Amino acid sequence: MQLRNDHFDRDFTLTELLAGMSRERLARSLDTLLGPDFRLLTARSEVLLGTVEPLSVACRCELRLDIEPLGFLEAPVTMQPQAQACASLIELTMKSAARYLMASHLHENNVNENYKNLLLQHEALLKSELQYKQLSEELESRVQAQVKIIKQAERQLYQAEKMASVGQLAAGVAHEINNPIGFIRSNLGTAKAYVQNFSQLAPLIKSGAVDQLAAVWNEGDMDFVLEDFSSLLNESISGADRVARIVADLKGFSNIDHTEEEVISISDCITSVCNVAASRIPAGVHLVMQLEQTPPLRCRPGHLNQVFLNLLLNALQAVGEQGEIRIRTESITGVILVHVIDTGIGITEENMLRIFDPFFTTHDVGHGTGLGLTVCRDIVQAHGGSIVVESKKNEGSHFTVYLPLDRNT
Amino acid sequence: MADYDEEASRLTIKLVYYGPAMSGKTTNLMRLHDLLNPQLKGEIMTLETQNDRTLFFDLLPLGFRTPSGLLVKFKLFTVPGQVAHDATRKAVLSRADGAVFVADSQRSQGLNNSEAFQNLADNVGRVGLDFDTLPLVIQFNKRDLLDIYSEDELRERWAKMPWPLLFAVALTGDGVQETLRALMAQVYPVLDRQYGLQARHGMGREEFAAAIVGA
Repeated sequence: MQLRNDHFDRDFTLTELLAGMSRERLARSLDTLLGPDFRLLTARSEVLLGTVEPLSVACRCELRLDIEPLGFLEAPVTMQPQAQACASLIELTMKSAARYLMASHLHENNVNENYKNLLLQHEALLKSELQYKQLSEELESRVQAQVKIIKQAERQLYQAEKMASVGQLAAGVAHEINNPIGFIRSNLGTAKAYVQNFSQLAPLIKSGAVDQLAAVWNEGDMDFVLEDFSSLLNESISGADRVARIVADLKGFSNIDHTEEEVISISDCITSVCNVAASRIPAGVHLVMQLEQTPPLRCRPGHLNQVFLNLLLNALQAVGEQGEIRIRTESITGVILVHVIDTGIGITEENMLRIFDPFFTTHDVGHGTGLGLTVCRDIVQAHGGSIVVESKKNEGSHFTVYLPLDRNT
Repeated sequence: MADYDEEASRLTIKLVYYGPAMSGKTTNLMRLHDLLNPQLKGEIMTLETQNDRTLFFDLLPLGFRTPSGLLVKFKLFTVPGQVAHDATRKAVLSRADGAVFVADSQRSQGLNNSEAFQNLADNVGRVGLDFDTLPLVIQFNKRDLLDIYSEDELRERWAKMPWPLLFAVALTGDGVQETLRALMAQVYPVLDRQYGLQARHGMGREEFAAAIVGA
């Protein structure tokens, strides 16, 4: 029964239909029209209005909605026409009330349903918003991971660039070392044969056969052997010294990433860099060194060698087969200046703004990473200094490295 | 899902005229009101119209008393056909004991018909009724118009469907009684099973239909 009341099209009772109006007013009107003796009854004969006691001689009018009576109006028989008219008026009221109840109920039903749909849509929207949020968060973390990979790759490239110029030297240096090693090895072979010659003389010397000894000595041209032995030993010693010097120069480049700070002379540094690079300087290129005795500097020589080598190699590239490269050091109050001046192709104005940018290169892909000068600038800045460039196209470039003696000033 | 009120000795049966907008559902009710002469007949209650289009619904109450004294009350409803009023359509359709699908016979209305029929099938499910067992008849209305599907075409198209097919010109009343009679024939077995119309109230299938539509 409870369920039935939820529907807009349920069967209404008279009580329900009269609920919207003032019963007192209805009662007063009926009283005026019919007199005090009337009764308004429900379908189950419960008295809604009028006298409680049954009327003695009464007429009974049905109060119909649609096709069935929902109640009755009783009045004295003498008032039958008036009672009929009253019943008719009440029926009109009932019908109007029924229409209102149905329409309002249906309207409420529709509003509720729309609201329910809105809630569902809202829920779906929240869900999709959450998905987008998750997606965007995921996107961010993916981008971050990608950035991390790129940065790592950059760092590796940067690291590789630091080693690259040293690597370029390897072939030249190998040649420089191979040369003396070659003739030292050959000299030692000859020396070994000479020792054998002398060892043949030993039994003759022990036996005291002087005539025989002299004969063998002459036969073996031992005077020459003795002289040659001495000169080839001298030659080998100077060759070994040359190797030692090259190795010493190279040491400045070894262990680039873990060099300790040392107190050294910048001019000495540059000398050893030039020695190491010597094999790469073409015959037509004139290298002029104007090195002052600079005050000792606390620095990482391995790193600074890298800078000077890079600048030298850049200059060599700029001049090509013909030209002049001048390297000059000077010290003015508290600062050491290193000039690398070439007569090469120079740098255009627009490139000038970018030459220190990472990955900027004027060379073809595969010939230089565009990190060389970036590495130089970083190293010099780590020493509290700076690099300045002046250049004119087709006239040459002038790089100046400023290195403060005291980094804290 | 008829309403049986034992205390009032009343069985209320709800029949719904469904279909696309302007197919003639209200006209069906108006002609039934004019043509039928059952024991009890109420006025058509029209709940709000806008330019002659149904906004909420129309209601025609009809009824009779069985020899046993049971008031059998029919409430014939129409739904608003316009697409926007789907919530109202569902409310009107809920707890229906049977439905007439009023289709527009004009060729130009084929798509509207099928969309409305799909909407009926969907809404029947949404209000908790079973489309497979709901008593349903199909009425193709407006047979008097020119560019319409022929009866043969329609019969062929609907041949595989389980529902009775009826043809009508609601404007003149042709076929509207037959449609209601066909629906009552579908509704009767369900009600008889549930409320013992024959056994307890002496109402056979024929008498049941005749009490409303006439012999």
